[in-house]
Amino acid sequence: MSTNAVEMTPAHKEALAELLFQLADDDFLLSYRGSEWLGLAPHIEEDVASSSISQDTMGHAKMYFGLLEELGYGKIDDLAHGRSAKERKNSILVERENGAGYYMETPRYDWAYAVVRNYFYTLAKKVKIDSLKKTTYQPLAEVATKVSMELFYHHIHWRTWFTQLLSSSDEAKERMNKAIEGVMADFGDVFSYGNASQSFKEFALIEDATVLKQRWEAALEEVVKALHIESPIIQQPDRNGRLGEHTEELDRALSTLSEVYRLNPSVPW
Amino acid sequence: MGSNEFFQEFEVFSKKTSKAAFQHQFSLLAPNAEMAMVMAQENFLRREPVADIWVVNRKEIRGLNYEEKQMLNRLDNKEYRTTKGYGYLKKKWRHYEQQMLDEKEILSWGEK
Amino acid sequence: MSSSVVAETEEQKYEQFMERINRGEQIEADDWMPEDYRNALIKLISMHGISEIMGALPEKEWVPKAPSIQRKLGIMAKVQDEMGHGQLLLRVAEDLLKPTGKTRDGIMQDLFTGKLKFHNVFHMPAPSWGDAGLIGWLVDGAAIITQTNMLNSSYAPYSRALHRICAEEVFHAQHGESIIMALAEGTEEQREMVQDAVTRWWESLLLFFGPPSSQVGKSKQDITIKYKIRPKTNEELRQAFLTKYVPRILSLGLEIPDPTIRFDEEKQEWIYQQPDWSKLKEIMKNNGPKSQERLNLRRVSYENNAWVREALGQIS
Repeated sequence: MSTNAVEMTPAHKEALAELLFQLADDDFLLSYRGSEWLGLAPHIEEDVASSSISQDTMGHAKMYFGLLEELGYGKIDDLAHGRSAKERKNSILVERENGAGYYMETPRYDWAYAVVRNYFYTLAKKVKIDSLKKTTYQPLAEVATKVSMELFYHHIHWRTWFTQLLSSSDEAKERMNKAIEGVMADFGDVFSYGNASQSFKEFALIEDATVLKQRWEAALEEVVKALHIESPIIQQPDRNGRLGEHTEELDRALSTLSEVYRLNPSVPW
Repeated sequence: MGSNEFFQEFEVFSKKTSKAAFQHQFSLLAPNAEMAMVMAQENFLRREPVADIWVVNRKEIRGLNYEEKQMLNRLDNKEYRTTKGYGYLKKKWRHYEQQMLDEKEILSWGEK
Repeated sequence: MSSSVVAETEEQKYEQFMERINRGEQIEADDWMPEDYRNALIKLISMHGISEIMGALPEKEWVPKAPSIQRKLGIMAKVQDEMGHGQLLLRVAEDLLKPTGKTRDGIMQDLFTGKLKFHNVFHMPAPSWGDAGLIGWLVDGAAIITQTNMLNSSYAPYSRALHRICAEEVFHAQHGESIIMALAEGTEEQREMVQDAVTRWWESLLLFFGPPSSQVGKSKQDITIKYKIRPKTNEELRQAFLTKYVPRILSLGLEIPDPTIRFDEEKQEWIYQQPDWSKLKEIMKNNGPKSQERLNLRRVSYENNAWVREALGQIS
């Protein structure tokens, strides 16, 4: 049964907003990290291709922020640029820096980390989006259908990089395995709903996190088996981004991404 | 082997709609066809509809060089191959009170 | 038709080539071409291509910082296009370099050693969001003037790449205008941002088109004109830029940092204060304000990810 915003109880609306913030903040931060990579990828053609993915992903964040705006939570750009780290609901994984060094100075970005983070994240996003197509909030189900159209390419793109690098030189394998370790160390809250699991269930917004987690593991299982590497296991998080617990890396990202916005948040730019 | 193999040249072709013919777009460098394929659309077709893509390793293409292009030359004396050589039929058919079946007429049959 | 006669000697080949050029025919990568034509193209197109790649850097500084989601997306797409233009142009240059055995890696090495130059404007700082707008508006405006000048270049692959590039430049120009317009119609602080950027970039914009022929040996300009790679001279292009953009800059109430600039009706040309041409020479030796920093950024990102190219070079 579908619901619309008018007939929602406050508790229902709050749960929906919680989910939308998680989805929006995830895509927004990851696409921000992608935008830092722009111009610095290992190959010019790949730079162009992966920038499209970052743009798509930021476009998805914009759609979620748009749904929040419709629900009365504020304007899209204030939601994206004006919220403090404590208010952010993204997972730790997407806030992590691309590697050592500031993007304007001497960035030593790690392409293996970019590939693994993007591939594992995209797979998780795909699992969530498939579930969201059946959500009770119709406008979100429609967004999920749209997002899913673009995700197909993101998935193939990152899977190709993932499998090729893991089938190549010893150095690449070593770097990729290290990247998998790094990504999995932060993967604990990707499928967490924070404090909202109960209410998500109550209002049938999205399926249970453990179900989605299993689907993710199963989808990855096939790919890693063919590459003769161990299946990554999702651990309990030590820090949960869904609860507003974040790293300093998020603070630095927010300060950069809102630098111009903060000069005067009330005027058009 | 080494880094040279990373820079293989692929020619990219695409079509706009499922009915359209393939058109050459441009070339890109990629280590293999799979990689060329995941980069092709975003490099050359970011703003237009695409219905299909081919990537072809340049090694597989046999083209003509400037000298060889002379084999494309031909004289303009082959009216017998075209309708131009049979234009007189129009007048003939008129004599028998029939219309000539020209290109426009014949191709229009496919629309019915 | 003379082209159906097989040329035997180098002189015949050259003669035939010049006939094609003068007939307005275009040359393809596999066609015979004189060495000085190939070399002029390699120099021009590899510099053009690498300038796009280096030109992504000053703008990319503002990609993560753009003030709204819409601006972030717009500037991301714009810088992506710059990388894409670099891709198209480097492909054209790489095919011309075939007989020398040089690949893209060699082009990058030439950039790092200072053998291959990149355009003067990309050695300059871009310290505010106003610069991001100004680059899109005026630097791209200047680039559109030089690039459309070569749309019908005698070298077909370059001409095809430029047709793709110029189609996208229309979006770039509007992207830049949109940022500038919002600032020019905004608060005092926002207006200052644009004015500062105009003041900061004016001299570089004049330098952009290169010295007029009287100031340097004109051989380089001449060869590109003789072979119909481009029809107009540096000064003609600069004049075209001033005609298109001076009225627009002034119409937004912005000041040009040259009190003497005016259009002379009699001579039908712009009279303006000459930029300091010695600055262009210094910049072209990679001694501009940001030359070393930008080269360092490009070098670090290229070398840092060399393992990726090595790894995938082994799969096929």
